[in-house]
Amino acid sequence: MTKTSPSEHATAAPVPEASAKATAARSGFRIGPEGWTTLALFGLTVFMILASRLISSGFGSWQQAQAILLLSSFTIVLGFGQGLVILIGGLDLSVGVVMTLGGILAYRWIGTSLVALFWAIPCILLVTGCVGAINGLGATLLRLPPFIMTLATSLIIYGVFLGFTGGQPRGVASPALTSAYTSTFAGLPVILWLLLIFIILATLVQSHSSFGRRLYAVGTSPMAAYIAGLPVRLLIVAAYAISGATSGLAGILLVGYATGATLTMGQSYLLPSVAAVVVGGASILGGRGTYLATVGGALLLTTLSTIIEALGLAEGWRTVIYGLVIMLALLALRENMGIGWALTPKFRNTASRSRPGGAGHKPNKTGGNG
Amino acid sequence: MIGQYLKRGLLAFSAAAALFMAAHGESKAQDKKFKIYLSLSYSGNDWQTEAANIVKALAATPPYDKLVDLREVISGTDVQAQISAYESMIADKADGVISFPVSPTALNRTIRKGCKAGVLFFMYDATVTEPCAYNVSYITSGFGENTAQALVNMLGGKGIIFENRGVPGNSVDKRHVLGAEAIFKKYPNIHIVATYYGMWSAQTSQQETAKALIAHPEVTGIWSEYGEEGVLKAVLASKRSELFPITGEDSNAFRLALIDPALKARGFTGASSGSPPATAGYAFKIMMEVLTKKRNLAIHNIEYPLPWVPADKVKVCPGDEFENGCNVFPKDKVTDSFTTEVFEPVLLPELTMKTALTGLPKPGATIQPLPAALHPAPLEPGINCGHCEPPADLYKLTKVQPAVH
Repeated sequence: MTKTSPSEHATAAPVPEASAKATAARSGFRIGPEGWTTLALFGLTVFMILASRLISSGFGSWQQAQAILLLSSFTIVLGFGQGLVILIGGLDLSVGVVMTLGGILAYRWIGTSLVALFWAIPCILLVTGCVGAINGLGATLLRLPPFIMTLATSLIIYGVFLGFTGGQPRGVASPALTSAYTSTFAGLPVILWLLLIFIILATLVQSHSSFGRRLYAVGTSPMAAYIAGLPVRLLIVAAYAISGATSGLAGILLVGYATGATLTMGQSYLLPSVAAVVVGGASILGGRGTYLATVGGALLLTTLSTIIEALGLAEGWRTVIYGLVIMLALLALRENMGIGWALTPKFRNTASRSRPGGAGHKPNKTGGNG
Repeated sequence: MIGQYLKRGLLAFSAAAALFMAAHGESKAQDKKFKIYLSLSYSGNDWQTEAANIVKALAATPPYDKLVDLREVISGTDVQAQISAYESMIADKADGVISFPVSPTALNRTIRKGCKAGVLFFMYDATVTEPCAYNVSYITSGFGENTAQALVNMLGGKGIIFENRGVPGNSVDKRHVLGAEAIFKKYPNIHIVATYYGMWSAQTSQQETAKALIAHPEVTGIWSEYGEEGVLKAVLASKRSELFPITGEDSNAFRLALIDPALKARGFTGASSGSPPATAGYAFKIMMEVLTKKRNLAIHNIEYPLPWVPADKVKVCPGDEFENGCNVFPKDKVTDSFTTEVFEPVLLPELTMKTALTGLPKPGATIQPLPAALHPAPLEPGINCGHCEPPADLYKLTKVQPAVH
């Protein structure tokens, strides 16, 4: 899977990792290890789609690619918020429930009205963003572990809308939202154009803005960021608020796709949102990862589940294979021991230059902040 | 002096207290209500809500409104939570528990304990294998085999099909699929190319079907459990010009689609059957007849008739009540995933569409007695008995006959 043997990695000097990361964060023109990870993920996805033609005649087509993009849209949107929270060393377990909240509100508020679309979507993003901000406040001011805080919020929110809806969300799916999934513009479903705009904006925010750079700083070392004068708490709250808002947005999209809302609609997206970020090469400890790689992770996971489904295996085996492939992908794409790293030109240079028996570097050198 | 006042005061107080207690005790004896718990496994879908609303509406319909003190406990989909809910109900000296059980076996010990304490346990829709409990369900009425045969008939005995199952490991899902596959295996030209789990959710079913459709665009039919409305949405979203038969459960959107002329013209047809929320009301009425000593119930497994609505029998209800065999509601009255089987003209004339939506009784209705004879359910191991012999004709067809050989 890799072009070089593990022993060669062990001898790689630690310097390029940090400098490559810095270049990846500062300029989009040079491709650092994270860029290569992203390319590897997209490449693997395309390869899997093409190779799956061997499994079924319906595979390997543009039709399939389009369907995979549509199915991935929710995880791609969720992945941005989840990615930011993971970047600052947190974890948002409330994305599923907040997504449901967004869906229920969209179902109730937007309805068939086109005007409502313009006031309801900002309102929903505001409400879900506030839920996210509460998560952030709990994690910073109350110093609750993020997973406990977000779990507690999700339980409370679930209870509120269970009581509020009486178990049955009432409303109408907005025809405008539905048509985003069904109608096309320039040969592509409208939602894919919207998704493209979202991905561009999100990438700009995460990798090409001072806000994004500050989040990387907080994730790498909150203490150092604090000493450097960054408003660490505010940045953490902002990351959680964005995660809340993107969860709400994903819920709105799901109403358009499924033309309905239920109290469990977002539940099954929690784990994929974390998996997409982690498969995308982000460190679960924070400080590392790019949004484009998360998008690649989301596409890879959806493609994988589509192909595995077509294998005609029993459910148990399908789950086993899914788990194994994710594990292999994580191993292969690990920054300091995998495809992404091996493809980096800098690495190849330093690997050939490195002295035998040189000091090995610890994994996650830049990632650990605890 | 003070001591005397105190003594007198105390005497007066205790006398008053005694009087109050006597009066209170008397009034309690006069209108003693049956304490009944409704234990739900909340999965957040319309089905569970409708079933609970039907029970609430019946408990508020005269004369039960004077006889029943109904308490609702929602314990989630977790077995442990339901066990502890049952334990508290037994400790609270409930007269009866009406429940959707999460597991056919895990609750048995607690139920047995409750039976010994004199609590009646009535299970609706899902079942338990504990012999002292009463199961009221459609499960044994052959959803799987009848819908499978209907699909085979519509396909003329040959085709490429998907199976949209329910929740993995669930006994109800297993029973449905065993029934369906008992039929499919008789037809060598029926090929099941994809089996996936829609988790009894329209959204999951939609996504899983969308994935299967990419892999197998050549599909010519889909057999589905609850979630068929999502299956249909995925098929329509795949933009194929020609549609094919789909069999599924009782969602309003699915039934409306079966009579949609535009879809029919593209080849869509199907059959709607499956789990009726009205079963909960039936179970509740049987339980009340036992509690009020109007019925001596000898059997523990009671079958609810299988709803059966092929495409040509779908009929829109003009109002909220049962009229002329109507079985689906206009799009603007209920949600797409509303389960339409809320009527049973013979067993449950007290119900309207509104009762299922709101849990309020039908104005002016009174509880009507059930027929003297109830339909016993056949024994099925793992479904309604632990170790028993199933009947030889377990998967016999009751609603449809083979049209192809």
